Order: sequence, then C-alpha cells, then structure tokens
Amino acid sequence: MTAPPPPPGEHIPALEVRDLTVRFAGLTALDAVGFTVRPGTVHALIGPNGAGKSTCFNVLSGVYRATEGSVRLGPHELTALPPHRIADLGVGRIFQNLALPPRATVEDSLMLGRHRLTRTGFVAAGLRLPSAAREEARHRARVREIAAFVGLEQQLARPAGSLPYGQQKLAELARALCMEPKLLLLDEPVAGMTADERRRTASVIAGVRDSLGISVLLVEHDMGLVMRLADSVTVLDFGRRIADGAPGDVQNDPAVVRAYLGEESAA
Amino acid sequence: MSEILTRSGLRVGSPAVYGGAAACLVLLVLPFYLDRFWLQAGLFAMAAALGAIGINLLTGATGQLSMGHAFFLAVGAYGYCAFAGDGADGLAGLGLPGWLAAVLAVALSGLAGGVFSPIAGRLRGAYLGIATLALIFIGQHVLFNAHDLTGGFNGRAVPPLSLFGLTFDDTELLVAQVPFGAVEKLWYLGLALLLGGVLFARGVLRGRPGRAMNAIRDHRIAAGVMGIPVARYRAAVFVLSSMYAGLAGVLLALVFQRTVPEYFGMALSLEYLAMIVIGGLGSVAGAVAGGVFVSLLPQLLNRYSDALPLVSAPGTGGIAPGEAARYLYGAAVVAVVLFLPGGLARLAARRPGKPGSGKSPKTPMHTPNTPTTTEPSGEAR
Repeated sequence: MTAPPPPPGEHIPALEVRDLTVRFAGLTALDAVGFTVRPGTVHALIGPNGAGKSTCFNVLSGVYRATEGSVRLGPHELTALPPHRIADLGVGRIFQNLALPPRATVEDSLMLGRHRLTRTGFVAAGLRLPSAAREEARHRARVREIAAFVGLEQQLARPAGSLPYGQQKLAELARALCMEPKLLLLDEPVAGMTADERRRTASVIAGVRDSLGISVLLVEHDMGLVMRLADSVTVLDFGRRIADGAPGDVQNDPAVVRAYLGEESAA
Repeated sequence: MSEILTRSGLRVGSPAVYGGAAACLVLLVLPFYLDRFWLQAGLFAMAAALGAIGINLLTGATGQLSMGHAFFLAVGAYGYCAFAGDGADGLAGLGLPGWLAAVLAVALSGLAGGVFSPIAGRLRGAYLGIATLALIFIGQHVLFNAHDLTGGFNGRAVPPLSLFGLTFDDTELLVAQVPFGAVEKLWYLGLALLLGGVLFARGVLRGRPGRAMNAIRDHRIAAGVMGIPVARYRAAVFVLSSMYAGLAGVLLALVFQRTVPEYFGMALSLEYLAMIVIGGLGSVAGAVAGGVFVSLLPQLLNRYSDALPLVSAPGTGGIAPGEAARYLYGAAVVAVVLFLPGGLARLAARRPGKPGSGKSPKTPMHTPNTPTTTEPSGEAR
C-alpha cells in the first residue's frame, strides 16, 4: 500500500444523533435513538437484521426524512437537508448493495466521487474549455492516488462491472474516499468479500481513521472486524438503542447477548 | 487514462482516422453529384440526428423519458418563422435577420424547456414521459388554432436563412460549374451544425455533467448521496435536450420551406424514441445512426417502391412506402431490443480491429499485470 492521501486540512466535526425517530405508516423503524461519533474514531452500529441500521444510514445521508429528533454534524443540522447538500458537507457513504455503474471504467466511477469538488458545467464540458480539461486532469491524478491507496491502481481502466465482487465493494469505498469526506458512512463494507479482501479493507478503514483523521460510522455483521476496528459501538434492536460503549463492554452486555442469541441463552 | 486511450486510438495512420477522413470528404463533395431528392433526404437525416442527440441526452444518458420532443421541434421551427418572417403574408413576424432568428429560435426552445423544467426536475423516468404527453396536446392545439402566429392548418412559409451575405434560397450560385440551390447550400450548413452538435454532446457526456447524468440514470439515490443535485441536473438536461430539438426544428423548417402543424404530432415524438433505441441509448454515435436510419428508411422505400415487392405508391392497393417504413422500423425496434441491446452503435463498436470494443463486458481488456485476487469467491452471489 502506498502513502495515504493527504488530509483535507479542515477539522473533523463530531456527529451527534439525538432522539432520532423514524416512522413509516405506523411502523416505528427507529425509536428515539441517540449516539455520538467522536471526531476521528470508528463507531460501529450493530444489531440483528431489521434493527434499523440501514434506516439510520438513510436518515444520516438525507434519503429518508426523520419523523423527530436531530442529527448534527458540527454546526449543521442534517435532517432538513437534501442528500446532495449533506454530501457537500463532507459526508461520504457506501451502500449495502453495489451502486457502481457496471459499464463505466473504475476510473470514471471514482471521478464521480469528485463531483462535489469540481465545477465544470454543461457549457464548459461541451465546448471543451481549457479550464475543464485542466480540472479533469488534476482530479484524475488525485483519483489515481486514492485508487493506489485502496489497492485498485491496476484496475482503473477496467469496466467496474468486470471486477470480482469484493473489488467492486473496494471500488465503492474508493469512490466515497474520492469525495474527501469528513465522515464516512460504511454500510457492510466487507460483506461478500474473501478473507484476503476483508483484511485489506479493514486496513484501509483503519488507515482512513489513523492517517486522515476521518470519522467512520460502520454497519457490519462481521463481529471480529467490528471488535478489532471500532473505538465505540452502538447496538440497536427493533429500532431502539439497547447498548452503547466500548467494544469490550458492549460484547458482555446481557441485553446485547439476549438480542443476538435469544432469551433462553441469556438466562 | 481514457483520454490517453482515445488519443492513441486516433493515432495518425489508424484505420479509424482514414475512414473518418474519407467519410468527411465524401460528405463534402456529395452536393456536386447528388440530385435534389437525395440531398433533401440527407438534410432530413442531419436534422433528425440533431434532434435524436437531444433526446438521447435526456432519455438515453439520464434515464428521463420524454414524449414531448416533437413539441420542442415545433417551437424551433415556428419560432424561426416568427422571428424571421417579415409579416408580408399576414402572419406575425419580427423580420429579424435569418441567422439571428435561428439563434433566437433555439434559445426559445431552451426557454420553453426551462418553463417545463420544474416538472422535468421532479418527475423521474416514465412519469416524466406521461407528463410530457401534455406538451404534445397543447402544442397541437396551439399550432392548429393560433392562426396569426402559425398559419393554422396550412402552416406557414419559412423565410430563407441568410448568413454572411449568403442567402440559403434557390437563387442559383454556380460552384465549379454546378448550380447550387437551397439544398446544396443548406447541406453544408447542416453538416456544420451536426458536427458542432456531435462535438458538444460528446464533450458533455465524457465530462463531469455526463458522469452525473449517467449516475442519475443508474442509481438515482446513490447519485444524490454522491453530491449530485438530482433535480437540478434533470432540469438542466431537459433544457439542453429542448435546445437540440429546437435546432433540429429550425433545420427541418429550412429544408421543408414550409412548416405544417400535423408533422409535429405524437408520431414524431415516437419516431425520435425509435431512433435512439435503434441507434443505441446514451451515446452520440447511436443517436446519429438511429436518426439517419429512421429518417432515410421511408425516403428509400419511397424512391424504390417500384422495385420492391408489396410496396407501391399510395392509393394503388399495396402498402404505401411511409406505412412500410413504419412496419420496418417497428420491427427494427423489436429486433434491437431483443438481439442488439446497445443498438447500431454497439454493433459498430463490436467490429474487430476497432478500439472501443473493450466496452463490452465479455471482452475485458486483458492486461497481463492483473494477477490479483481474480478468483471470484464472491461473484456467485
């Protein structure tokens, strides 16, 4: 792995989620959930299927509207903003299911991550103005650096859809990094990866935190990875927060054991 | 990287460059050899290609269906007449110079698209298609009934274009012993407009806007989360697409020399959708190929109706050429959807020895330096 990308040079804000409630036509998907992602830490959000983790991510990135509660990133309230404005504040996200265009090359897919950092509009692109070409070249260089950081530099010219599944997930992580985020939302980043790819992804995530100081909010079912990487853990079950704290404490919490393994084994 | 690839693909000496240069040369000398019929057919094809590029930016590249493309063609065509007309025929006209009228007509189409763009920004895909149906009905109503502006059922005559002291009418101009009438002169104008339209659209599609448009088409939600203002982009592409339609409308009007309302109906919108499906969704080459195919087909059938079985002149018992052309490109749409997803443009790209065939996922560019974890444990998912 080559040298990590340089830090963005701005301070990393904390993410504070307070009393977040989301209801869909009578179903309460999230019920007064609260937690804080401290700057520069990896915070894991775990829980059984249907616990509300993905709903929480969708509220944080502006895809769903919160019924009640607040989400603050530094001074900004996120619950009232559309997705692209939240992205503009430096929130990057990868999706649980792949969201890469299959035919575009990996490099072009990563360039999409530069959208918020570039300015070329229809007229400049259509007329191929020199300013557009310069901007394109500068950002392609940065994209190649980031690809090298996650270990995809050999795959840049290939169509994203032709990569093995694990590398496509990695490409999506690289695309989120191309947004130069202050907060990364990772929805099951290692699902479907080989052991080797899992190790590499885990080291990329650790590298993001340690050398860039970016905060990471992580949803993941691989408990080994969560326990190794996370600085703190929030556990959800049926839309409620049932535990919150350091990984070691949460692991032994009786409520968590009950949620994962059922009533009998806790007794 | 991709720029380097395309540049190396266009190296001097590669067959693509010679082929392109030869094609350009042929297109440039055609007016010296072809008769009026063929030149007119070619000009229709150029106008269709321009319009098809517009709708391909919207439907093919951004995934927004539009049934209202014919409306914007009408705005361009009638807008030109209204700006350039001198009012001598009793219809409203500002009497502006032709070139200015043409520019204003394209701007007017963009403005019409802009008025509709709050709707175009909010609706996605097929829903926009349904909403744009309204434009066709409104357009047809206005064209037939606003007599002072449109001339009603009989339409209105199109004032000739004048540019740099050259008037694109039938006053003959002798070039190398060949008399140049309106179509010969317009041929070069059409070529220039098409070239400009192609280059502009390619620049858009290959640059930042094109990536954002494709992202909206492929993964709308992910596009927003990546920082793309989805509604604003949809609205902007709608305006751009309307301007292409307006330009196509101006060119069509100049070739027809008369605009009639019934031409700009629902069938025309469907023809444009057929063009981009047959040619290839989302690419400029596809739009041009589809535009040429769909607009030349009825002309060819018309010309050779004597020699073709089952096809005969209208009213003589057989299938009229226009009708036969509809059957044929209806069949072509079905055939392309079934057997050739990606359209004619992909067919050309698949030809051996041509760069760009790497786009097909079946033939990834095999570089020897990829010994990484290609054993796909996760691919079975």
